[in-house]
Amino acid sequence: MATPILSFSNVHFAYRGDWLNRVKSLDGVSFSVPTGSAYGFLGANGAGKSTSIKLTVGLLLGYAGSIQVFGQPQGDDALRRRIGYLPEQPYFYENLQVAEYLTYLGKLSGLRGAALTAAIDRVCSILDLDSLRRRKLGSFSKGMRQRFGLAQAILHAPELLILDEPFSGLDPLWRARFREILAGERKRGATLFFSTHILSDVESLCDHYAVIDHGRVLEEGALADLVREAPLMLVASGPRPDDAQDLGDGTWSLQFSEADRERRVAAAVAAGASILRLSREHQALEDWFVDKVKDFHAAGQDMEARS
Amino acid sequence: MIRLVATATFREAVRSRSFIALLGLHLIGVLLARVVGWISSTDGNTITTDLVFSLQSIIGVLVAVATGTALVHVEIKQRTLYTVLSRPMARWHFVFGKYLGLGAALVAGQIAMLTIGCLWLWVTGAEVHGWLLIAGILTCGEVLIMAAVALALTALTSPLLAAVLGLAVYALGHAVSSLPGLMYHLHGWQRGVATALAAVIPNLGMFAYRNDAVHHIPLPWSSFLEAIAYAALWVALLMTVTVSVYRRKQL
Repeated sequence: MATPILSFSNVHFAYRGDWLNRVKSLDGVSFSVPTGSAYGFLGANGAGKSTSIKLTVGLLLGYAGSIQVFGQPQGDDALRRRIGYLPEQPYFYENLQVAEYLTYLGKLSGLRGAALTAAIDRVCSILDLDSLRRRKLGSFSKGMRQRFGLAQAILHAPELLILDEPFSGLDPLWRARFREILAGERKRGATLFFSTHILSDVESLCDHYAVIDHGRVLEEGALADLVREAPLMLVASGPRPDDAQDLGDGTWSLQFSEADRERRVAAAVAAGASILRLSREHQALEDWFVDKVKDFHAAGQDMEARS
Repeated sequence: MIRLVATATFREAVRSRSFIALLGLHLIGVLLARVVGWISSTDGNTITTDLVFSLQSIIGVLVAVATGTALVHVEIKQRTLYTVLSRPMARWHFVFGKYLGLGAALVAGQIAMLTIGCLWLWVTGAEVHGWLLIAGILTCGEVLIMAAVALALTALTSPLLAAVLGLAVYALGHAVSSLPGLMYHLHGWQRGVATALAAVIPNLGMFAYRNDAVHHIPLPWSSFLEAIAYAALWVALLMTVTVSVYRRKQL
């Protein structure tokens, strides 16, 4: 297996609370982001998503465990040249103009001369910032700031794009546009790692996912595997099994798991039913996510009751 | 990297409303200083010159303390530094670049105030001479020390407390030069406290040449160079403290 572009191994982290108290934020977090993937980092508010991201880009220090970026231990300043980062609800210097700011950040990422000009032209074009180049960022709305945030993150064509709630504050049109832009970045060769609590974003963009809650990764894997776990739906006419649902027009439907596929289809055909459709009932990731977190909390309460 | 951060900080600072407002306040103060000169019973021109240069120092220090305490704290609070520090840059580059940018903005403010003040003095018939320029340069040194004091105090405590302590350092800094004379009257722990204060508070009296300049009293070059070197040493010391705190700070 290829070296993951980003991996956490048993990472613990606590914030300083009042006085000498420490507030635990990450409690043994482990996950691996495959190179070239689009990785959705799912979790409710306060689950530990932003903390994990800030540790990756070096804004937070003093963790236990191991964080590897591009196969090397996190902490090397030079590695950040290969990372693009969009913070959650980003704020920018109010008195700098768009072009000035992009020039500043591009230079910090090592771009100079014609390469810098071309990079600024590219991001201004794809994020519709061309007409705003001379505008100061203090006059920007939340959605415009988010657009500028993505522009500065992809400016230097990074190999790893880390986005903290990238779709927040965007209208539906710009949400769709962001998805297109991120798909384009992926096509360019970038790996996407983004946090969200909006599950449809993961469904539409990602091929890998992890669910984090209360500082622990509950599940990690390929989205395709999750989809394969979704139940099958058989629609047929003719003799109706006892557990099938009558659809009222002479047809009926029956839901069963992948493991029961052969047995249930064979039984229906043997009974003389005509198969009209067999499809996967796409269980919304939302339901699955809610169930997963509820199970986790229930298990935690059981453990607390036993201890 | 440091130059890039300093340039961006300078641009942001000189375009801020508070910076422009304080220059406006200085302008009004300078105009009013002439009125005080007219109604004074002594030499009106001397009083006006004295007021113009005192105003420049006071406004400079207020801006230095206010912006110095806010400089990095606001960046952390508003998270503007996230997109900067996530790039390949050491934290000390960022902190030092911020200070240099602020310092450049403060010096630009001092130059603007000095120009406005000298122009007004010339227009109103007061004498404008070279010693006033030396006084202006020394005021720059004082303001740069106060910005570094404010930045270091903010790294160690809250911005509000840092501002209060910064102004206390300013007041004590001007009293430090009179401490040696005071020592003869102090004994025991009082003398110890006074000695400690003299050691940890920058002696801002070294930069208070304004009154002498107004009265054409020359400043020896050795004293001028000593004051500049003293300012550089204090800034270096304070920036070392600030950088060592921010290197470990959670953002």
